[in-house]
Formats: sequence, structure tokens, C-alpha cells
Amino acid sequence: MTDAQPMIEAAGVIKNFRRKTDLAERIAMRVGLAQEPGTVHALDDVSLSIRRGEVVGLVGESGCGKSTFGRAVAGMLPLTGGVVRRNGQDIAKLKGAEARAMRLATQIIFQDPMSSLNPRKKVLEIIGEAPRLHGLVARGGVRNLVEGLMDQVGLDPAMINRYPHQFSGGQRQRIGIARALAVNPDFLICDESIAALDVSIQAQVINLLVRLRQDLSLTLLFISHDLSVVRYISDRVVIMYLGRVVESAPTDRVFAAARHPYTQALLEEIPRIDRRGHRFSSVKGEIPSPMNPPGGCHFHPRCPLAMDRCRVERPMLKQAGRDHAVACHLDGGFGRPKPTLFPTQSTLQAAESGLL
Amino acid sequence: MSEHLLEVRGLRTWFETPKGTVKAVDGVDLTLNRGEILGLVGESGSGKSITGFSLLGLVDPPGKVVEGDIRFQGEDLRAASARRQRALRGNRIAMIFQDPMMTLNPVLRIGTQMIETVQAHEKVSKSEARRRARDALGMVGIPHPEERIDAYPHEFSGGMRQRVAIAIALLHKPDLIIADEPTTALDVTIQSQILSEVQSLTRDLGMGLIWISHDLGVVGQLANKVAVMYAGRIVERGAVDDVLDRPRHPYTRGLLDSLPMENDRGQPLRQIPGNAPPPLNRPEGCPFRPRCARASEACLAEPAETGTAARAWRCFHPLEQTGVFA
Repeated sequence: MTDAQPMIEAAGVIKNFRRKTDLAERIAMRVGLAQEPGTVHALDDVSLSIRRGEVVGLVGESGCGKSTFGRAVAGMLPLTGGVVRRNGQDIAKLKGAEARAMRLATQIIFQDPMSSLNPRKKVLEIIGEAPRLHGLVARGGVRNLVEGLMDQVGLDPAMINRYPHQFSGGQRQRIGIARALAVNPDFLICDESIAALDVSIQAQVINLLVRLRQDLSLTLLFISHDLSVVRYISDRVVIMYLGRVVESAPTDRVFAAARHPYTQALLEEIPRIDRRGHRFSSVKGEIPSPMNPPGGCHFHPRCPLAMDRCRVERPMLKQAGRDHAVACHLDGGFGRPKPTLFPTQSTLQAAESGLL
Repeated sequence: MSEHLLEVRGLRTWFETPKGTVKAVDGVDLTLNRGEILGLVGESGSGKSITGFSLLGLVDPPGKVVEGDIRFQGEDLRAASARRQRALRGNRIAMIFQDPMMTLNPVLRIGTQMIETVQAHEKVSKSEARRRARDALGMVGIPHPEERIDAYPHEFSGGMRQRVAIAIALLHKPDLIIADEPTTALDVTIQSQILSEVQSLTRDLGMGLIWISHDLGVVGQLANKVAVMYAGRIVERGAVDDVLDRPRHPYTRGLLDSLPMENDRGQPLRQIPGNAPPPLNRPEGCPFRPRCARASEACLAEPAETGTAARAWRCFHPLEQTGVFA
């Protein structure tokens, strides 16, 4: 089976952030009164590819670099190292019309719609501005286009002249989605897009995203800290820890046979209503600062199975099965699956009816 | 005669605004005993946080507790003087907020703040207060409390700061803690550590805990009892197994059904249609009526609570008793 060229291909992406120093600070550093500002290693050699039509869930805790990766893939950040290719072309080398087309075809939906929607503009302008400026629609056709988009995301087109504050949180997120769709993208990056919504509203927006993905054949990078949402929406799950990918596999496989101890810990900590009186906490310790990550495997200080080797040598991503990659020294570099970590709905049902 | 740790009857907290009266809490009944964890669940605007604030007498104007009876170990808190309330607050009843920086003063060392808290309620020497503060930090799992006690809040991570806030709440070994979404902003592995501490502390110290949250998963794993709030009222309450496995109110069922974990991949999530009603414009009768598939003419009247002291709901058309996956 020949894999078609991936739509998005990130190869060895490195992104470091460094605080800018002012003149006084530089003088102080020169005479030894101040230290050089530290470097944040937000992305440390991240490789990941996304096939056309695929929904990839990118999961990790705060500071793991998942949002930075989203911005890097969208071409919003200059990289420190590595390359991001879209349809085989290095996006940093695209110029003029090609670069513009690439940017339009990739859209981001942010977490907080209130801070990503201009409070002084009406919905008509918020959604209609980009397609008008990019000449995707004639001036007279803007209202029609916006009404169509509002209808598509489940907003009443009669509200076209309202301002963002006149909408509820869920409706605002729909405006953000309509704005992203207005320029006909084929690739959407959802950066914690539903994290701030109430449970019942969250379900509505997830359903909307799933429907739009089918109707418009979208490819999605779904960035989230919430594994239960990611499990529902993604075809493949990628787990990051402190700037590195630790595991990547098809969704069912991650939930049934995760091999990295960090992935297993995350799975165990998902709050679930079917587990009462649960003893919490299988991972000890804090998430270390990305300014000064521990050596070797970043996870080793919190890992219950860490060995000497984990403290000194970085584990590289290794294929542990079809489409399943893991970065862990355990068992010859393939990680170690944990049995019956995550009973799925179907196995639970089977257990209930006495089949198991 | 058995006396509950906390007993709330008919609590109403209203906000007078130029546009009308916002009935944030509109008739809430709660009972809590020692060693129990009550999960108070609801979506934004349901009144769950205001309920917590009302119990502590922390509602600011234009908000006001207009009606109801709040009894803490038999004592009527609404009739208590401001002085008496101050003596109870932070001492016998403590609160943990969602954002620990609401509790912590950024320019004071945490030790200074904790010693102040101890001495506010008890005449003890500074060194004794400091010893207690250090012990409390150790109890919530802060490593090297002897050194960390002299650190400033910004020197802690978010999870550690929340532990400090919990340690402050525990300083006087209160009888009741009200926790308002204290782990919502934290990462799952950190949330899990804090839930574990809270669970064992409640058990070991025999405290009562009200855990306010929008997360049914967390409440299901932590609490013994659950109360589900919608539009200022408790629409369903009972033991955690009863409410989550055999919900009677359609709203509770809807909340449970919309959790992604409870849905099969590839199928649309079972969603509750519509939005929560705006607080100034709640529908007549049952506030859930416009979103409810079971609503009828009868729902134009207000449903009273039916059930027992331990298990009750407000609905004219309650769901039948069924299993989890039915």
C-alpha cells in the first residue's frame, strides 16, 4: 500500500523562545551582574505528518508545546530548526500568491472566542472581512456569503448585525468557526476550541465540527488537553510532553494499548463517571519547566518505571506497530503496554452482559 | 435528635440590577454531614458558585440573601452578627477558590500570610503559628515545607499555589470546606494529585466538603452525594450512584449523555438542544422546559421537589429507573 503524500509534514521542528533583553540588561550581563535570559525549548525536534482528510488529536498538559506546534504548522512562527511542508512544499520558502494561498487554506479556531473576535465589529464584518479583502467574493455578495456561513454553523442569519457580546459562549465559538470557514480552508487547527464551553454546549460544538469535517472534507489538527474529547473526534492521537512527541497511534490503539508510561498516566487520570471512589493520582511530581527540562527522557523524574538509561539518554520515536510510534526505553525501545488500562464502551457492555 | 453539619433550606440570593432582579439562587436546599463530600454540579450561570458564597455570607451588593435558612451545626448563620460570622469564616468554615491568587497576596511570603491566618482566630505565639503553617503545607503534599514556607506565591507553579490555598483553608481544621472549582484550571495529572489529597483529608479529619464543579467526571469519582443545579435551583439530588447511574431529571440525563466518554465514536454526540435561559428572562414554570424533550403543558407550572430527604428531583415527567447504558 502506497501512502499518498501527507498534507502536512513537520520534520524535526525546533522552536526556542528567548526573552529579549534591553540595553541596561545587556550592560549588566557584560559586567556579570545579570544572567543571560534562559531559553524555552517549546518544540524539541518534533516530527509529525497529517494525511489529507485525517483528524489528528494533539494532546498534552500546559507547557508541552502543543499550541506552539499549531502555530508553527500554520506558518505563524519562524522556526528555530526543521521544516514544515504542506503538500510537499516548505511553507517557509513560499512567496507571494502561493504563500497567501497557503495561509488562507489553513485556519485556526482559538480557545477564547471573546478575545479572538473584535468586540466593535458586527458579525457581518467579522465573518465577511477576510473573504472580501482577499477578493473571494464580490462586495455585493458578502452579506449572502455570511448568511450562508451562519446557517452552516447553526447561527440564525437574522443576527447578522449583532456584536459578539450579544451572543452566548457557544454561539461565539460558532462565529469563530464561521470566520475560519469563510476563506474556504482545507485544513483547520482547533486550539482548545471547546475547552471553555459548558458540557452541553461543548457537545453541540463537537457535533458541528464533526459534521463540517464531513461536509467540507476538512483535515483537522485538534489540539486539546482533554483526552475524552480527543478520543471522540480524532482518527489518530499524538501525545506531547515538554516539547517532544512521546507517543503517536490510531485512536483506538492509544486507548487500548498505549505503550508510554506518560500516556498511560494521562488515560488513568481522565475523570470518568463510571468510576466511583477512585483512588486518584498515579503520577507524582510537577511538570518541569520547559526552561530547564530534565535530561534524558523528560518524563523520567515522574515515571514509575524509570531506569538509569532514562536519565541520560533521550529515547527516540520508534515504530512499535503499524502506525504506532513511541519514545520510551522500556522493553528495547518499544515502551510497555499496560493491560486493560482503558475498557471501552463495547468491552464494558460485554462485561455487563456476562460475555467477558 | 440528629444534627447535620450544614442544613440549608429555601436559600434565595437575588441581585437587584437596573434591568430587573436576577434570581441567581432561587430556593436551594442542602444537607451535609461530617465526612461527606457533596458535589454541587451545574453549568455556568446555574448559581452554584453564588450558593457557595451565600453560605459564607460573602455575597456583595447588589446581591443579597433575601430568604432562607442556613444552619451550621444548628446555629442560624443568617441571624449571626458580623462579628460572629467573621469568627466562623476561615476558622470553622473555609473556602477554596478557583483561582488561588484570589486567596494569596502576591507581595507577602506565604508563611507570613499563613501565620496571619492562624493568629486571626487563635492566640498563639508566632513560632507556634509558623509550625502549624509548616505542618499544613506538608499535609497537602508540598515538598520541603520548611524552606518553601518562605517563598512568595509567584515562586510556586499553579498546582502548588492551589495546594497552598488548600493548606490555608485547612489551618484551623475547619468543620466545613466549600471548594469552588479549585482544580478546573489545572492539568489532569496535577488535578488528580489534589483530588487525592482532598479525598483523604476529608476522610481523616472528618470534615464536610462541598465541591462545586461543572465536571461530572470529577464529582463522580470524588463525592458521596450530588446535587445538580439548573437556573438557580437544585433539580436533582441524591447519592452519587443514584444520580449518575439512575438519573430521574431529563437535564441530568442530558448532561451525562453529552459527555464524550459516554458516546461511541462515529455517532453524533447526544446533545441538549439550545442554551441555558438568560437569568433575567427565565421561562415560566420549569426552566428546563424549552430544552426538554419530555416537556408538556404541565411543565408551565413550577415543579415541586418530589422524593425523599436523601433522593429528590423537580420534574413532572421524571425518567424511569433504568441502568447506566439503557
